[in-house]
Amino acid sequence: MHNINFTKYKYFTLSFSFLAIVFGFVVTFAKYGGFAHSLDFNGGLRTVVELPADKTRSDLDGYFQSKNIEAVVILLEKEKNIYQLDIGLGSLDTIESLYKEIPEANRESSTSAIDRFVQLLRYEYKLPKEKVLSADQVGAVVGGELTEVGITLLLTTLAIILLYLSIRSQFKFALASSIALVHDILMTLALIGFLQIKPSVPIIAALLTLLGYSINDKIVVFDRIRENAHGKDNLALSNIINVSITQTLGRTINTSFTTMISVVAIIVGGAVELYDFAFVLLFGVIVGTYSSIYIAAPISEIYDQLRKKRFA
Amino acid sequence: MQSYRLLILPFLILAVSFTILYPNFADRTLKIVVREDVYALPEADQKTLVNALFERWAKDYGKGSGWTIEPQGILPPKENPYYTVKGRFITSAKINQISQENQSFVSESKNKLEPTWIEETIRGGKSLSIKLGLDLQGGMRVVLKGDFDDYTSKLKDLYAKELNELKLTLNNPASKVEDKEKAKSRLAEIESSFDLSPMRKIVELEKAKMIIDNRLTTQNLTEPQVRIQKEQDAIEVSLPGVSNSAAILEILQNTETVEYRLEEPTPFVFKGQIADSERRMMDLGKRENTDIYLFQELVKNKAGKKAQDEFLENLEKKYNIPPDFKIYAMWARGNSAKSNLLPRSFVVLERKIALSGNDMTNAQPSYNSNSYGWMVSFTLTPNGAEKFFDLTSENRGRNLAIVWGDKVISNPVINDPIAGGRAEISGSFSEQEAIRLANVISEGALPIPLSVLEMRFIGPTLGIESIEVGLKAVAIGFFLVMAYMIFYYRLGGFIADLSLLVNIIILAALLTLMDFTLTLPGIAGIILTAGMAVDANVIIYERIREEIEEGRALSIAVTRGFENAFWTIMDANVTTLIAGILMIRLGNGPIKGFAITLCWGIVTTLFTSLFLSRLFMELAVNRIGIHHLNLRPFFFGKKETTHA
Repeated sequence: MHNINFTKYKYFTLSFSFLAIVFGFVVTFAKYGGFAHSLDFNGGLRTVVELPADKTRSDLDGYFQSKNIEAVVILLEKEKNIYQLDIGLGSLDTIESLYKEIPEANRESSTSAIDRFVQLLRYEYKLPKEKVLSADQVGAVVGGELTEVGITLLLTTLAIILLYLSIRSQFKFALASSIALVHDILMTLALIGFLQIKPSVPIIAALLTLLGYSINDKIVVFDRIRENAHGKDNLALSNIINVSITQTLGRTINTSFTTMISVVAIIVGGAVELYDFAFVLLFGVIVGTYSSIYIAAPISEIYDQLRKKRFA
Repeated sequence: MQSYRLLILPFLILAVSFTILYPNFADRTLKIVVREDVYALPEADQKTLVNALFERWAKDYGKGSGWTIEPQGILPPKENPYYTVKGRFITSAKINQISQENQSFVSESKNKLEPTWIEETIRGGKSLSIKLGLDLQGGMRVVLKGDFDDYTSKLKDLYAKELNELKLTLNNPASKVEDKEKAKSRLAEIESSFDLSPMRKIVELEKAKMIIDNRLTTQNLTEPQVRIQKEQDAIEVSLPGVSNSAAILEILQNTETVEYRLEEPTPFVFKGQIADSERRMMDLGKRENTDIYLFQELVKNKAGKKAQDEFLENLEKKYNIPPDFKIYAMWARGNSAKSNLLPRSFVVLERKIALSGNDMTNAQPSYNSNSYGWMVSFTLTPNGAEKFFDLTSENRGRNLAIVWGDKVISNPVINDPIAGGRAEISGSFSEQEAIRLANVISEGALPIPLSVLEMRFIGPTLGIESIEVGLKAVAIGFFLVMAYMIFYYRLGGFIADLSLLVNIIILAALLTLMDFTLTLPGIAGIILTAGMAVDANVIIYERIREEIEEGRALSIAVTRGFENAFWTIMDANVTTLIAGILMIRLGNGPIKGFAITLCWGIVTTLFTSLFLSRLFMELAVNRIGIHHLNLRPFFFGKKETTHA
């Protein structure tokens, strides 16, 4: 089979990834001041309302968008047109000023943000009191704790994978896989920040899934490299890498393709609340595949060259 | 592999899996129990309640749901006070919802989903259906904070006497230096035990969690989850489907304890004082001014524990009760067995707890035909038995009161030392009270009082629409992947699909067996499992094809293909497994749910791809006699098969 020279572009791909990550994080923090706020991470307001039959989700979405209120709209019961509205803490000021615009006659004195939001909603949608089924100020489901646990988790996982792979194969492959995994996570986080996707439980699930997928992908490629490199210490690693990646290319394409079929089905299917999850996952699969070929393999090669130079 | 007798294994495993999964699809019977007090209501009120239930029923659980309810639209007979609901897919959220919406009609805690014969046989009646997490179905979440101040004050009671003695020794100029040193170190030791380290707090919270777990299981609530929030010294309880349940909260927070305390020594100086002044009031014809009457009024008006405590504290001040003693009310029933349990007189007990509930276990309520009342017998722990024997031999002739919660329920005289580690409490109990008391003793009391830090209704992360659309999308995705595999690998793809299906079925059965609660991240874990399972087969087929291309005979190519792929698949899965196990150990909530499905998914994937697929493939090639194995896609495939 004709071999493709994958490692030829290694410096280009490595710098491209590096710049993309830096760019994503710079935009995230300089332009937006960090990741998007979300109910799952920061807490906020949550109301459940029964809307008149002629109102739809897009009405609600349109309303919140026009008023610049960050809201997640979830349809709880189709027949009765019951919606759950989650409002991020970032929109409290907007709600405050909108509340003040309600004519005096329709306004009751209120003490809490959630109260003001409910009044705003009732005024806007002409809702009687009993159609507001619940209204709570809710705390974060996940949050500070998770970030901490997440980082510990990632570092420990990487350390153990490094150890396992060093024993099973060679340190250079273990090191390269670990760096590539970090690359995948950082890339995806940069994307989440750049697009201001709201972090949520499904997004965490997506991150974890792509981590699993990515580990799998890297090991398959490296196993082939290791097998081909067996007993050929003198051969340039870049050649072996190219041969191996070419040999596993069919498998890589098939696996990425089948995984993407399921993910795309969710995106096309139109489950609104799963869109972010599927989108992040789709990106993750692409990045995971890309990094196995263009990040992990070149890093192992560079490491190999450096080591050979040192001992030469 | 070659031994086709092994084929029996997948069939066996599938049969077992389907058996385990059966309750999820089976026609179920749910019993909705009508509250006892409904039958005492006037007929018109009963009718209103029945109508309310059935109107709601017609709206939501009617024809579309496929559920039927018997008897329809009338009150069930008093001797069988329940409605029988039959249907498929009766979820816990719906069960709880039905009872929540009809609280004055339905006895929530007694509703019961009848176990299927399978659950009866393998689980002794315990449910085998897949549970859905709060993020999928919504529900109530309560965070209960441990009140450690109260805990230390109780501890201080326990050591009250010893502390006093030690202080006396220390302050007494006559005591020996040696004794003083000893007393000093013991004092430091006791006082350090009042200082709660984070570690100690966790231990107490763990105990509380266990007790809450027990209480919830006896409440017959569907799928409650209890976990500790270390950062907040709190316990989080998740109750799917339940949106507001005061009764459950009360059960959770109940800190009732059972303990023995010695009464003041005879002649009862303090008790006598109180009784004298009460009698004087009575003689003056001012019954409503007596303390016991006032106290009864507090109880009848449901003034709460705090008001009662304050009342007793004031009483202690009034009668100058020394700090070593404490006033309690002795509770009893009036003359008839049906009259209420009320405080009837005051007793003065030692502040020191003589024997605590921790020293007792295994309580059983039983009917005492001699006194026509219920009593509770229990076993003492070895340590407790020793304490009890010492206590009863040293204090013959004194009264030993049994305090339940803050009520003295019995105050017998110690006649003889009691050995043997068994004892009983006879009081004027009703059956319910005897059962409750026995539960408090057997399950233990909450070690720490819990206060509600946060109680909220959790909406599902996904709406009904998204779940429906999402499931459809996943199903379509699955179908497309399977179709693609057949298109690309032909017979190989078919075998891969077969083992993928078996994989998912076994995984579902395993998760059911482990009482796993399915959450959204859990579903993500299953999707990843499916992806990795397909990948494993792809790796194998690519290897087989390489072998064929190198001109090997088909059966050898198949064997070598599997062998070559073995370590790659192992390595990939073992590393992911390591990551998964770490996630289970370190993570919680969403991370854990994901990791558990992932880890078990890896186990099933290794089995199906390395064992099952191979078995099927070898069977096809060596037994059924497939001579051409084309692992190239239809239309694009070059002819490259080798003859076996």
